Amino acid sequence: MWADSVNREGGPRLIGSRCLECREIFFPSRNDGFCTHCQAENFEEIQLSSNGKIYSYTIVMQRPPIYYRGDVPYAIGYVELPEGVRVETLFSTSDFEQLRIGLDVELVIERLHEDEEGNEVLTYKFRPVVR
Amino acid sequence: MILSTVRIEKRETDRPIEYDFPGWLKMRKLREVAVAGVGLTRFDSYDGEKGRPYKDFYELGNEAIRQALSAAEMFWPEIQAAFCGSVYCGTASGHQTIARLGLTGIPIVNVENACSSGSSAFRLAYQSVGAELCDIAIAVGFEKMPRGFIASTAWPEWQRKMGFNVQPADYALETVRYMEEFGVTIEDISMVTVKNRRNGALNPLARFRTPVKIDDVLSSRMIAKPMRLLHACPLADGGAAVILCSRKRLKSKSRAVTVAAAVLTSGTYGHAKGGGSVRVHTPSNVEISAQQAWDESGYGPRDMDVVQVYDTMASSELWDLENMGFCGKGEAPRLLREGAFDIGGKLPVNTDGGLMSRGHPLGATALAQIIEIYKQIRGEAGPRQVPGAMVGLAHVMGAGSNSGVVILKR
Repeated sequence: MWADSVNREGGPRLIGSRCLECREIFFPSRNDGFCTHCQAENFEEIQLSSNGKIYSYTIVMQRPPIYYRGDVPYAIGYVELPEGVRVETLFSTSDFEQLRIGLDVELVIERLHEDEEGNEVLTYKFRPVVR
Repeated sequence: MILSTVRIEKRETDRPIEYDFPGWLKMRKLREVAVAGVGLTRFDSYDGEKGRPYKDFYELGNEAIRQALSAAEMFWPEIQAAFCGSVYCGTASGHQTIARLGLTGIPIVNVENACSSGSSAFRLAYQSVGAELCDIAIAVGFEKMPRGFIASTAWPEWQRKMGFNVQPADYALETVRYMEEFGVTIEDISMVTVKNRRNGALNPLARFRTPVKIDDVLSSRMIAKPMRLLHACPLADGGAAVILCSRKRLKSKSRAVTVAAAVLTSGTYGHAKGGGSVRVHTPSNVEISAQQAWDESGYGPRDMDVVQVYDTMASSELWDLENMGFCGKGEAPRLLREGAFDIGGKLPVNTDGGLMSRGHPLGATALAQIIEIYKQIRGEAGPRQVPGAMVGLAHVMGAGSNSGVVILKR
């Protein structure tokens, strides 16, 4: 889902697909090879910008009953990337109150939770850009 | 069937694309279909705790069906087809419910269409009678709800693990945009709860029958910022049933109510709530379903005397009214403040208290909305009666997404 890695210059990047017919961009990448916009079947893999702006956000205060096993409260929302695609994401921030529409954010790869065997499960998140 | 070509206007696209969805059908003209009788249980927590009775989904569904049969002056073997809406009741839940009335060999179809299951079941029953496949069909909805946040599986698994599948959070993301784009305040949104809980106090079948003040809403627990507990509809268990028949098979023809439209649409590309493409803009699911309902019925928004819309979260009532064309984008909060949506206002909305007061048993909710319209235009809504109501609309949304619209007239 993302190209790492720690040693990569410029940090991690999300991997998306661009339809070669209609130029629509998809995240995650369309590994089923079918464009839901124009029905074409040819894609190229692209690395998406690691910086974008918050389109919307919320802070979830209550633990969901199943599936999600990370910390609570947690912040989620949509980040709009310059390529013209919105990505649903977790936000990484110690200060939820600073989140607002239009805020500049950047991609990070962080811990989501630990699985039953104690392995760290990673995910992509976006965090506010420190100026 | 007539195929309709739909041209969708798009903005900000670098390559304009004309849409032609042959799947958007114009319904063939159906024969007149009447509502023969309705049944509705009180929506509540039937968990057997704190003095509350324990009832399972089949008991709730059964109770509603028997009420509807009695109102229609019919007996079960007269029913020729059954469509049963539920989400959390497991396999063949409609069959389990109907087995307790006596199996008669009729087709029973279980309908899972998220929160719009009841409306989808209604539409199937309507089409069966309207297309003359049978003369009498029943739409049933029932549910025993799990507790806590609705843990929807309408997201891919990796997104569930990231905590995206939380319904109030999904609505919060849409609410934050709505507030930003139209200058709507959290007080505006809270007024929806205040109005609906006021109406719910007049509805003996609602789960919550005590009014709340705006300060109660604004001081309730935050669940997904900016949405608080009292911005979210409560969960509830319940059952609802509507019997539909040809006009000829109506036992009593006085104040007969007929179906003017029953529409179901799903989402379109470019209109994922906030994700996906930025450059492609299409009408929302709600806009499409409303347009189809106006086309099918010959009515427009101005013709509606009473309306039930989908207030699963307080804010959704506001943008639903706008998206259906009852007012312009961003205008609903002002109209709400002015009392336009009160019982006695210009367009009474959610007269029975809506999901906010009734509670939300997923399979039964849409049928409860339809039943309220039925009672209103029959003049049987008691203290919450809208004087002279003759035409009304019920609208429901569902994960997927789905949008269901039913218009009844007398």
